Amino acid sequence: MVTEKITSLVLRYPKLIIIATIGITILLSFFVSKLEVNPDVFSNLPEDDKTAQLFNKIGEEYGGNYLCLIGLKAEDVFTTQVLSSIKQITDSARTIAGVGAVNSLTNILDIQGDEWGIVIGQLVDPYNLPHRTSQLDSLKTYVLNKALYKGGLVSPDAKMTVVLVRLEEDIDKTEVASKLKEKITAIGIPEKLFFGGQPFVMMEFGHVILRDITFIGPVTLLFILLVLYFGLRSLRAVLFPVLTVVISCIWTFGLMGLLGVKISIITSVIPILLVAIGSAYTLHMMNRIYETKAKKGENTLKKAISFIIVPIFFTAITTLFGFMSFVFGSYLDMISKFGIFTSVGIAVALLLSITFVPALMSFSRNNTRNTTKTSEADSQLLTRFLKAITRTVFNHPERIVWIWIFLILIFILGIFRLERSVNITDYFKKDNPIRITENILQEKLGGTSPVYISIKGDLLQPEVLKMIRKTEDYLTSFPEVVHAQSIADLIEEMHFVMGEGRTIPDDKEKISNLWFLLEGQDVLQRLVNYEKNEAIIHATFGSDEMDKMRDFVSKMNAFFIANETENISFELSGMPSLLLCFDESILRSQLQSLALAIILVLLAVSLLGRSFKMGFFAITPILSTLCILYGFMGIVSIPLDLATVLVGSISIGIGIDYSIHIMNQVNADRKQGRSLQTAISHAIQISGKSIIINVFSVSAGFLVLILSSLVPLQRFGILVAVTMLGSGFGSVTLLPSILLIHEKLINKHHHA
Amino acid sequence: MHERIKYLLLLSSICIFPTIACLAQSAQEILMKYDKVVFAPLDQYAEITIQITDKKGNSSIRKASMLQKGKHKRITRFTSPASQAGIGFLSLPNELMYIYLPAFGKERRIASHIKNQTFAGTDFTYEDMEALAYSDKYNPKLIRTTESSYILELIPKNPRNSEYSKLIITIDKKEFYGTNTIYYNKSGQKCKKLVTKMEKRGIYWIALSAEMTDLIKNHKTKMTITKITHDQKLSDEEFTIRKLVQ
Repeated sequence: MVTEKITSLVLRYPKLIIIATIGITILLSFFVSKLEVNPDVFSNLPEDDKTAQLFNKIGEEYGGNYLCLIGLKAEDVFTTQVLSSIKQITDSARTIAGVGAVNSLTNILDIQGDEWGIVIGQLVDPYNLPHRTSQLDSLKTYVLNKALYKGGLVSPDAKMTVVLVRLEEDIDKTEVASKLKEKITAIGIPEKLFFGGQPFVMMEFGHVILRDITFIGPVTLLFILLVLYFGLRSLRAVLFPVLTVVISCIWTFGLMGLLGVKISIITSVIPILLVAIGSAYTLHMMNRIYETKAKKGENTLKKAISFIIVPIFFTAITTLFGFMSFVFGSYLDMISKFGIFTSVGIAVALLLSITFVPALMSFSRNNTRNTTKTSEADSQLLTRFLKAITRTVFNHPERIVWIWIFLILIFILGIFRLERSVNITDYFKKDNPIRITENILQEKLGGTSPVYISIKGDLLQPEVLKMIRKTEDYLTSFPEVVHAQSIADLIEEMHFVMGEGRTIPDDKEKISNLWFLLEGQDVLQRLVNYEKNEAIIHATFGSDEMDKMRDFVSKMNAFFIANETENISFELSGMPSLLLCFDESILRSQLQSLALAIILVLLAVSLLGRSFKMGFFAITPILSTLCILYGFMGIVSIPLDLATVLVGSISIGIGIDYSIHIMNQVNADRKQGRSLQTAISHAIQISGKSIIINVFSVSAGFLVLILSSLVPLQRFGILVAVTMLGSGFGSVTLLPSILLIHEKLINKHHHA
Repeated sequence: MHERIKYLLLLSSICIFPTIACLAQSAQEILMKYDKVVFAPLDQYAEITIQITDKKGNSSIRKASMLQKGKHKRITRFTSPASQAGIGFLSLPNELMYIYLPAFGKERRIASHIKNQTFAGTDFTYEDMEALAYSDKYNPKLIRTTESSYILELIPKNPRNSEYSKLIITIDKKEFYGTNTIYYNKSGQKCKKLVTKMEKRGIYWIALSAEMTDLIKNHKTKMTITKITHDQKLSDEEFTIRKLVQ
């Protein structure tokens, strides 16, 4: 048999295996140091998605996707002191490499006109800031009465203003944002500053990811170490799983470093997953070796390993299937990468458990000591608990099944209340400065989520500019939309200062003349392309509510269909469109990955038990737990988000392991001619112990994620712990009960 | 257009006092001589081609004619492309500036406090174009002398009136024209570079081409003189609003 061949090889060349493992680990640890963090969620958008393509195109050609907002809060923005601070920030920001356009009250383009003449210049003269009260009052009145500035550059109560800093493409945005924040803070201006916008959000994500990996990873390891120690009371039983997990992490991250794959908000959870999952394989391997030796003495290492390789292999394969289900059909690239590299990590943990660990154990002189110690000290409580479970299962199998059905029915109601959350800012805790800043900016200045409309047509033609006007008017009719700006605004303003009304001229020549006056203004690069056949309407969307976004996107698309002509075409992009795609993809990939995981796992366990019916029985605990999980999420208002969307498939992959161990033990006993009752009792007593210890160690590991600064990761930790508890207890209660009832029914049938 | 880049100069001082150029001179003297060369012609008529190139390499060409008298009177009229033909600018003493848009048949005065705005989409700002003598506007310091040039550092006398913190200008030792100017912004960062190509036409040194590069935006403007005449004794009547709207 293959398992025996593997075992023989491992026991024949233990030194070679140990040396090779250490060698590869040293080699790959070099690449771990080369790992980089990519906190930009939006760099993961799929390349073939139309909305994402337009979003990226507008970002590249017109700027704006990476907009930093530096907010200044004061009693009154319109004082010489505050204006001077704004000017200092503006001048300072402009000198940083990687910063594109900077716009603020002290350098914004302003078009004014009267009988005296026209001013196509700046709102204030930066070299001669207004200082008299009358000048400042008049500036305040002018700004607060101009739609272009009010609520955009200055809050309506004049207590907050913002400096808009656009970053260039093809640069390290977080690095530039970091320099920007450092430089602006160093000026030491007296007003309170807020740093908001996507680059600062990304920067914070970067810090949090690094913090999570360097702090939460080791803490998880420590937690699992403690739980294992208290469960097994053996230092070696703790050290071996920890060693396996650390090596698996080094191999996985080393491979990522070697292949140039960056760490994302999601892949940052890999060490925690590997710590929680990978330790189980070693634990089962060691437990089996101890159990076998305790009963049959020495020289049974080979037998023990041969026996346990199959279930460990299948538990790993099913867990792999859970993660591999993310590789296909995920909207975000980072979720696919997460699937791939966690699978790699699990494969490594599996490999080490069946090679490196037995190789190490073959050198230990007195293995039974630990086991004896374990069986004595260990867990009298656990043993008593498992005996109680065995009794209950034997006495009331139907009642157990009914309790589970009752639980499922209650929680199913919660599933209908399940929500989805795609707002990236909500991913930070409520007291996180970046979330506070984003909320303030949203409240005072209408938010930082960009909306773009691309309009294609000859921009020198009056009808095209009039259509831009019409579209912008329709856009701003949505109460959530603020700060709309387009080339039509500027042409109308110029037309006005030429004394002919705030309208689009009917004459193409006039449009050309007005256009000439705007040439060279930085703002034009954001609004039109070089060939003058595409214009972008920029705006911001000030709501996180998905229903409002859905309504907005569908109404805008209907408007486009109604107004499209041979010469004019429209496209909508920006955060609401992207978040909608994202939202739909979360639901789609949730269903896809769940279905895929269930099918693959069902096939795997059916193959293991050589019976489809047995496979179905085996997945019943985890399926039941999933119902409880999603119901629980609905009831306690935990939404499906970037991280919690992963829980279902991961839980299937991990949770099925418990059933596999129970089924494997039952099958082995049945093969030896034992009765089902004996086999089940045996399974609960032997495998149940590993399962319960594993449930607590894995749950403890995942619960450490509560310490994360990112809300989705906190929720992820709690939910995985919940499903581990559910599927663990399901495998020692529900599964044996089903098997017993099944046999009863068969017997009844035979008697009949 | 800009006096420094444009056109011609009279090297009378050097002709009269040929030995002076060879002697060690103070920075102020060098700059005054430079100003004298720049503002030498009494008046001039030039036809110019303006090539604007953006950071993506997109390039557009405009053509214009320009009349100038003394330091403070100038009228520029665009002749090409057709959509911009006829658009005119009139600059008069005391920072008076007017624009004429033919499609509207109207002129409008343009405010004077827009020095750091670009002129008609080029990389020259109104400050770059203003007709102030450098020796009046800047405090010079001679920082280096090479075999052929003086390198001067110019610091604005009134920093509030300039968007630059300093200029580094290279002045030809023999003829006192500028060949190269580096502009530094208020943060001390190199922001623009002007390179001129000089040629002697008659008694004046002319900047046949002047290329201004915005080092931050990676955007450049090259002005090339295709035709030039001097000292036509242009009348003040040529520099009126009536002439602008004609």
